[in-house]
Formats: sequence, structure tokens, C-alpha cells
Amino acid sequence: MSDHPNPIPPAPGEDPVRPHVFDGISEYDKRLPNWWLATLYGSIIFAVFYWMVTQQFRRINDGERVTAAVQEIRAAKLSSAGAFDDSALLEMSRTASVLASGAATYQTTCISCHGPELKGGIGANLVDATWLHGNKPTDLLRVLNEGVLTKGMPAWGPVLGPKKTAEVVAFVLSKQPASTP
Amino acid sequence: MSARIVKIHYNDKVVRQFLLASVLWGVVGMLVGVLIASQLNFWRVNFDLPWLTFGRLRPLHTNAVIFAFVGNMMFAGVYYSTQRLVKARLASDFLSQLHFWGWQLIIVSAAITLPLGFSRGKEYAELIWPINIAVAGIWVVFAVNFFWTLARRQERGLYVAIWFYIATIITVAMLYIVNHLSLPTSLTHSYPIFGGVQDGLVQWWYGHNAVAFFLTTPILGIMYYFVPKAAERPVYSYRLSVIHFWSLVFVYIWAGPHHLLNTALPYWLQILGMTFSLMLWAPSWGGMLNGLLTLRGAWHKLRTEPVLKFFAAAVTFYGMATFEGPLLSIRSVNALAHYSDWIIGHVHAGALGWNGFMAAGMIYWLVPRLWNRPLHSNSLANVHFWLGLVGILLYVAAMWVSGITQGLMLNATAEGGTVLVYPNFLDTLNAIRPLMALRIVGGTLYLAGFLLLGYNVLRTIRGAEVVDGSAEVLVEDAPSPRVGVVGTFANPPVVFSVLGTLFACVWMFGGDFLRLVGLFGTITSVIIAWLHFETKKRGWSDWYDRLLLNAAPFTVLTFIAVAAGGLIQIIPTVLVNRARNVEDRIQVPYTPLELAGRDIYISEGCYNCHSQMIRTLVPDVMRYGDYSRLGESIYDHPYQWGSRRIGPDLAREGGKYPDSWHFQHMMNPRAISPGSNMPNYPWLFENDADVAALPAKISVQRTLGVPYPEWTPAEIQARVDEQAAGIVARLRDADLRVEPSRRIVALIAYLQKVGKSEPAHPALAAKP
Repeated sequence: MSDHPNPIPPAPGEDPVRPHVFDGISEYDKRLPNWWLATLYGSIIFAVFYWMVTQQFRRINDGERVTAAVQEIRAAKLSSAGAFDDSALLEMSRTASVLASGAATYQTTCISCHGPELKGGIGANLVDATWLHGNKPTDLLRVLNEGVLTKGMPAWGPVLGPKKTAEVVAFVLSKQPASTP
Repeated sequence: MSARIVKIHYNDKVVRQFLLASVLWGVVGMLVGVLIASQLNFWRVNFDLPWLTFGRLRPLHTNAVIFAFVGNMMFAGVYYSTQRLVKARLASDFLSQLHFWGWQLIIVSAAITLPLGFSRGKEYAELIWPINIAVAGIWVVFAVNFFWTLARRQERGLYVAIWFYIATIITVAMLYIVNHLSLPTSLTHSYPIFGGVQDGLVQWWYGHNAVAFFLTTPILGIMYYFVPKAAERPVYSYRLSVIHFWSLVFVYIWAGPHHLLNTALPYWLQILGMTFSLMLWAPSWGGMLNGLLTLRGAWHKLRTEPVLKFFAAAVTFYGMATFEGPLLSIRSVNALAHYSDWIIGHVHAGALGWNGFMAAGMIYWLVPRLWNRPLHSNSLANVHFWLGLVGILLYVAAMWVSGITQGLMLNATAEGGTVLVYPNFLDTLNAIRPLMALRIVGGTLYLAGFLLLGYNVLRTIRGAEVVDGSAEVLVEDAPSPRVGVVGTFANPPVVFSVLGTLFACVWMFGGDFLRLVGLFGTITSVIIAWLHFETKKRGWSDWYDRLLLNAAPFTVLTFIAVAAGGLIQIIPTVLVNRARNVEDRIQVPYTPLELAGRDIYISEGCYNCHSQMIRTLVPDVMRYGDYSRLGESIYDHPYQWGSRRIGPDLAREGGKYPDSWHFQHMMNPRAISPGSNMPNYPWLFENDADVAALPAKISVQRTLGVPYPEWTPAEIQARVDEQAAGIVARLRDADLRVEPSRRIVALIAYLQKVGKSEPAHPALAAKP
């Protein structure tokens, strides 16, 4: 069986091949490279230690960890909120650089519901005479931050952050017809 | 003891059939791939036609490449090499033909049903249940044909290629059957019996090991036959074959959970998925070494032999992809790369580089031998090689850059980490558009190369006379040594492996005291095994040589090795008391209309672009809302956690926007989200939702443990009508008109429900 007519020959000066030949294919039996063995054993030892560290010594709860981190972010945001009162926002609505970045945010975030001319669509018209949720600049800021979930207005504060929300409010204020406050 | 000479005529007809089928389906699969890659960049290429939309065609692409292209190529290679390695003609010509035609029929039915929107909603397992049964049946035909051939072999010893084929056949059968367990609701629709996290775990146990045992082990077997044949060199190391075979089949199975890192999957499973993926690195590279180093002494032939060029490049890509895999399985790397194009690049390094080039090398080697005529053009084969190589490199490099870019943009924060730099998902999508375009170029080059292969093969075989191989073997009628049942199990390698694994399980899952016992036992068994091996080396290798003369015991041991990982991961997850395994929130079952909408979501393949899993990562929570709890998908059959975010995550989509937003967005996503690449779905506004199927569906859901009351069909209809009327009324307020029976109404109902869970029962939630 094993004496195949044309076994694949080893190169001259090479190790002997195994005695059995399969359909002309012979096999060396070379020893395994050390670096390969080190990789194999190293990854097994790592797995054992990693399991012990993560499962038996220091059990982490991913959910608690991420909740704590998010709460910290929320706290940091709260401490920086409140910096904008009515007069500050009106002041911003007359500052060109603020309006430019406010307009940019409006283009990417608000335009799909409130339209390119701010005349509304899915969302409310922002340049007519009626304010549905309070008519002070800080009311507008509150609506933007907290949303009006019943009407489908998402809370943008957590997404955009205080700086961008205030800029958008300033931008919307700057677009008001002259008669409104 | 007598010896006689036997002449064997091989069945090469079925090899030729599978080979040509592989070329044909390869072209189809790659063509669909280029089409869907274009759809990602140019939404108009969806043509507003349901059956040409990305969500339906992407499953067609993956299924065609895996099961039609690589499947047919694998069957050709397995049948050709097995007959020669065991010196026996395939056992049954009838089974061979049944296998071939049955498989092609399955492929054709998949190519019809997937574009029509018939889908189980699980990746690489989308085919509907009647086709699942056909696949399982044909696989059994393959197995019977193969093992029957082994039983009639004239060559007693099993060569390493045969080990890999055995592992392939039994493992794919196991994975396929378990992951396709479903309860039918009609002839074309079923719900998987597992739901939520259990379904996710079983899915990736299957999905990851479809890569392992459909795209890797059979191709390694093919490598072990065709590479030494083509290079005319001995295989580099037999003992490397032994070690890397057994470590590969044992370790691979455990790595599935690395597809669910940082999700709601229990933490211990995530750690197992990660560490076993790292341990998989060396066994995979064992295969690469044996392939590449077999070419030593034949490197000069690489310049002239296209076959060897393909093989050398294929094995190199295998090495690259199997290094990248463990890297991507590290939880912190995965936090960046998961859901991104990096994964797509990783898969294609394997599929185009390893599978595609192994197929090309094998086809170029086989065609002249099966049709008894030299290859039509070696230069064309060389052009194919370079086109393909440049194609892969462009594709993979583009996907690396794209994945890392989008991952970094999605995670970027500003203002002291309190806000996202790119709150609009579309900013990150539009940043990678040039790279997605580069991917189309790479894929097209690869397809062009493969078309050259098709042309080359056609020109070679046109008018050629087919030739079936034959061989004369000297058969000795001596009985070969049997290991028997006792010999299979009662021997040092098996005993020490089993002991070590059992102790390791005690160590991993035991309480305080048991844990110490387990650790002590594991270390002791490893030390004793090592000492025993050092002193009784001969005994170990003699036993293994005897085992290789016995196909059935070898198969049994292989099955035990591959079954272990799945049993240890899946059984605890399935048996666990579901009510307690919800964390602090629990899903509210879907109303009938929402369930109908969910089935539309699955049928349209929305999961191909949208995940429903907010990971326990700060940027995910900042972007999408509170992280997803286990209980929030507990009633989802199938689970829809997703694997790629071409669009944003939808886990907390419910209530985020008004109904009118979804209505307009599904009609024309760009009206709401300028720059979106999502297809339009006009047919959802013209076709009716399948409300008539709901009673059967809800009754199956009840059987599966979803707490639905016993509604009559009339009650179901009444609930549907009431909820649909509410949505239609809200749409009318926004000046949008639609019939309440339309699919869009059901889909809106579903989208507004996603992520709306309630706090779990406090008594249960308080328990650990």
C-alpha cells in the first residue's frame, strides 16, 4: 500500500519523510517552531489569567460602569448649563460668528423637520407669530434641550451639548420677524 | 496473507459538475456583491424595486458566495481528493448525482426566495424552513456518500485532508440543524425556537463556525491535498498537522460570542469568546505554516506556475485574516471596529483572498486533468492573479480605513467628553463614501479576474474529451488493527484531554471551594500529561497511528471535540430561568399590528444595516440612549441585534420621532435626512400587510413562550384595526393620507414600539 510509484521526494540533505505515502504525497515530521509554540502556550496562559482577573478577582458590571460614566457627563453638563439667560442669548443672536455655527448645526440637525426657511413641516413653524411652548429665549432653549416628546421633538441637549444648543437658539432668534421680542 | 492488484476508476464526472457550478455561481455571487457595494454609495441603484433592494440582495450575496461558490468548489475538491487519498471510487453514483442536483436546486430556490423577501432574518441562515430541510437532507446525502466511500477504502490510513473533511461534515450538520430549529407558521414562514440573547448566542455559534467549518476546515483539507501535489514537495510537518487540527476544531467552536462583545450578552460568555479567539491564533497559523512551508524548495516555480501563485497568496491571506480575527476579538479593539467596515474588510480578506484564491488555484490545477488538455492560456491565468490581488488589496485597505475612520468619528467627543463631535450619523457615513467607492473598484477588479477564469476554463474544455482518473493499487487482505470502543477512549491523549477540560470547567464555573479544586486538578492533569508524554512518547504516537486506521472512532472523537464548546456555552444560557435573566427591564410583547410590522422589517432585511443593540459603551449611550438590557429583546424571535451599522442603531427608536417622520422617511429618506444612502420603500405604501397570517403567528409565539392571551382571529383583527386607525389619524393630522391596511402602517407601529420596555418585576430584578 505504502510503496507508491512516485512519492514526492525530499530535497537532498533534508529530513527523512514519514514512511507512508498518500496518493504520491509524503510528509516530513519537522519539529514545531519555537515562536509558534510560544504563541500557543502564551495565549492559553493569558486566557487562564484573564478569566481569573475578570471573573474571579475583579468582577466588572459593564452596565453599572457605563451608567456611572454617563451620569458624570450629565452632571458636568448641568454645571455648565444655566450660563445662558435671555439677554445672553439675545446678545448671541447679534454675533455673526455664533450665528454662523448655529446655522451650520441647524442645517445638519433641524432642517429635516423645520425646513430650510424655518417655516416648519414635520416640526413647528419657527418664524410665525405663535410660540407653542413659551416665548422667551430661555423657553426656546429649554424646548431644544429637553424636547417635546409628545409632539416628536427630540431632546437635543444631550446630543448637541450646551454650546451648540445655545448657538441654534441664537440662530433661530436672529431669523425672527422684526416685530417679535 | 494474500495481495492482489485492484484497478479503480474514479467518479470524476461529479467533480467536473461541481467545478463548473462553482465557476457559474462564483460569477453570480460576485456580481451581486458589486451591485450591492454600488447601492451603498449610489442609492438610485436600488431602482425603487423591492427585489433589487440592498436589504434583500445582501443575503443573496452572502449565501451565494458561501454556499454556492465555495460550497460547490468544496464538494469538487473533497470528492476529487478523497477518492484518490482513500483509493476508492465514490460509494454511490446515484448519491453523487442526488448531491449535485439537490444542491443546485437549493441554490436556485434561494436565488428566487431571497429577492422575494422570504427570510428568517438571521445572517447566513436566511433561507426559509422548507429549504432548510432540503439543505439538511442533501448534507446527509453528502455525509452518507463520503463515509460510505471511507468504509470501502483500499487505503487504511487517513491522510490529514480527510481529518478536515470529517470535521467539516459532522460539525456543519450539528451547527446547521441547531441554528435552524424553527416552528412554522405557514409554508414559507417560521419563527426560530430561540429568542433574544439565546437566539443571538446560537446564531453566532453557527455564524462564526460557518466561517470555521464551511469556509476554513474543508479548504484546509483541500490545501493539504492540492498544495503538495502542485508543488511536488512533501508536506512540511506531520506533527504540526496533528496539533493544529485538534486545537483548531476544539477551540474554534468557543469563539462565537466575540460577535457580541460589549452587548447585553452575559459577561462570562464575552470573556470566553475573546480568550478563545486569542487562543485560536496559533492553531490557525499552524495551517498557514504547513501550507507555506510545503512550498519550500518550490519557490522558483511560483514565477511560472499560476496555480502555485494562487495557493501561496491564498495561504498568506489566510494567515493575515486569522491574525486579524483575534485582534478584532479584543474587547477594546472591538468597541471601535464592531458594526464598522473593518469587519467587512476582514471577512473579504478571508473570502476573496483565502477562499477565492484557493478555488482559483484548484480549478486551474484540476481543469487540465479532468478534461485532458493543457490550460487554454497561462498568461490569462496570470492576469487573473494580478487583477484579483490588486482588487483584494484595494478592497481590504479601503475597508480598514473606512472602518477605523467611521469608528473614531462615531466615538469622538468634545467639550470635556460631554458631547459628540458628530451627533448626526450621516456625517460619519458621508466621510467614508470615497472609501466605499474604492471598494466598488476593488470588487470589480476581482470580478473581472474571475471572469477571465471562467473564459479560460470554457476555452480549455470546449471540444475537449473528458477523462476519468484511474489507479491500480496493491491490496493486502490482512485485517487492519481495530482500536475498538475501549481503545478509542481509554488511552492517554483522550483521558488527559477530557480530564483537563472537565477540571477547567469546574474551575471556571464552580463556587469558591470547587474553583480551587478545579484549578488544582487542571494544573495537575496538564503536568501529569506532559510528564507522561515525555516518558511514553511512543505510546501516544502509536495510539494515534492506530486511530488513523479507524474512521468511525476518529469521527466520534472529532465530534466530541467540536461539541464541547457549544454545549458549555449554550446549555447554561438556554436553561437559565428566563424571567430572572432580564437585568432590570423587560420587553412588552408586540401588539398584533406591531408583530406584522416586525415581520416586514425582517423580510426587507433592515437588520443588514441597522442594529438594535446599544452597547455598554459611553459613546453608544450618548448617541442612542440607555444601553440595551437582556430583557428588552427576550421575546424577539428572531433576535435583531444586528452586526453592521450602515445606518444608526434603532434599539430606542420607538417614540423618538412622530409617525409622520417615519412615513416620509420610508417614502424618501433624503427628504428627511439629506445625504442618506437608504433605499426608498414605495411598495410599502401600495401593498397590504399580511394580517390574515397573524392568528397562526401569534399562536406559534405563544408556544414559544411569549405571553400572548388567547385571542380569537376576530379579536386580533379588532386590535389591528384600532391601532392602524390611530396611526392613520395622526398621519392625517400631518396632511398625509394612507389606507390603514398598508404595510407602512404596520411598520410604523413596530418602529414606534422598538425599545419600549417596562421595569422588570422588582422582586425578580432585586435578585442577582
